[in-house]
Amino acid sequence: MTAQPDASPPAPVDVSLGIGKLVVPSLIGGLVALTLGIYGRLHHPTGVVENLAGFTSAGYAKSWLATIATVFAIVQVSSALVMYGKIPRVTAPSWIGSLHKWSGRIAFLLAVPVAVDCLYGLGFQTYSTRVLLHSVFGCLFFGAFSVKMLILPKRGLPGWTLPVAGAAVFTLLVAIWFTSAFWFFSTFGLHR
Amino acid sequence: MPLPDRPIFGCEWNRNRLDCVLLGMKLNMPLVTLLAGLALGVGVLIVSMLGPSSAASASGYGATSTASATGAVKPAPASSASGGGASAAAPATTPASTPATTPASTPATTSTTAPATAPGTVPAATASVPTADIPPKADYVARTNSGGGAVAISVHAGKAVAYMCNGHAVAAWLKGTAKAGKLELTGKNGARLDVSYRTGKATGSIMADGTKYSFSAPLVHRGSSGHRPPGLYEATATVHGVKIKAGWVVLPGGGQVGSVEYFADSDVAPTAQAPVLNLTTGTAQYDGVTLVASLISGLTGSGF
Repeated sequence: MTAQPDASPPAPVDVSLGIGKLVVPSLIGGLVALTLGIYGRLHHPTGVVENLAGFTSAGYAKSWLATIATVFAIVQVSSALVMYGKIPRVTAPSWIGSLHKWSGRIAFLLAVPVAVDCLYGLGFQTYSTRVLLHSVFGCLFFGAFSVKMLILPKRGLPGWTLPVAGAAVFTLLVAIWFTSAFWFFSTFGLHR
Repeated sequence: MPLPDRPIFGCEWNRNRLDCVLLGMKLNMPLVTLLAGLALGVGVLIVSMLGPSSAASASGYGATSTASATGAVKPAPASSASGGGASAAAPATTPASTPATTPASTPATTSTTAPATAPGTVPAATASVPTADIPPKADYVARTNSGGGAVAISVHAGKAVAYMCNGHAVAAWLKGTAKAGKLELTGKNGARLDVSYRTGKATGSIMADGTKYSFSAPLVHRGSSGHRPPGLYEATATVHGVKIKAGWVVLPGGGQVGSVEYFADSDVAPTAQAPVLNLTTGTAQYDGVTLVASLISGLTGSGF
């Protein structure tokens, strides 16, 4: 990870300087994850979560919101693959950037109320492996998402940073979905 | 300082992209996304705190406090620091050594084997039993015919309570009425008990967590003094801020099957194996906390 002083002229960007730009966003992301985890641990969970009209229970409302968020996240990752030219024989259409941004924004904004309900109603819990993993992934997700949003406008970062940040955010969201909505639907049945 | 002739805040579409401007400066959209999420989160939090369910939250809280008070919870310093992960596993392993919960090792097959044995031929046979035989105060316990579970039914002066668990992931508390030779009890997540009963026996089926279990439960007679009698036991406590509710079906031979639910007041109540209920003291150790179990008895009316 060190800069190569004898690099050829077409690579004027100092790689170590680029990496340095990750420090502050990473610290903020870590702080976000820690804050959520500490709040979830210290706050006394009410055990009562808000329901949404049209759903059998709050558990179903949350599971469906999380599922829709995950679907948008899949759109996000697919559009990123197209933008990076990783899908053979597919050229990126002009609207792919908008699709990428808006699928991400929608997924994030759908995940937020679910997370607040979890933290407020249920808290950070450790009583089973699933629940522990879900709690940890949930906190890490918002930390990782913050990092990605903070490094997005930065120029001069190494090319791998955005894909790695995006992959981390996506992987965490899918892990969250598997340890919550998937478990919920397979335990209580798939309906509204 | 001259006033900007552009709007103080505005967003506009430029070739498929949204640009937002604040005080003449183009905004960093990812940051706007983050802040929008933060604002939404704070908004949802405030709604949760002030919204219509705040009364329910408050009462849930109250119930939790009283439960922990009556449950004589003894805090253990070690458990609070180490968290539930490692220590929660400890009580889960102990019951395996007692003969009472041996069937609990079979719940993996529950969903496949139980429906096959579920058909309600037995209740149909007893449906026409005259109602005059029904004791107004009675307790019934039995193992279910499949799935390694057990069921307890308590009837007291027209009211009835039932509990079914498999010593693992299945637990259901049901309430209802007892009349005309029929008990019809319901509980959370579609739990339902249909039973025909007469003196000495309650026969029928119970639906819990989407699986139907059939049973034929004899009337419970008082146990020998010094030991807790067979029947239905419950205990609630607050462990690490989580309200847990444990239930045990204690069988006439001294065997027992118990499950514990987390977030007992919510519709999301994950369930696991309960610690062994000591039938001499009527207590169980859960994650460093002493659970004091109380008997729900139709015969004496306790717990009704």
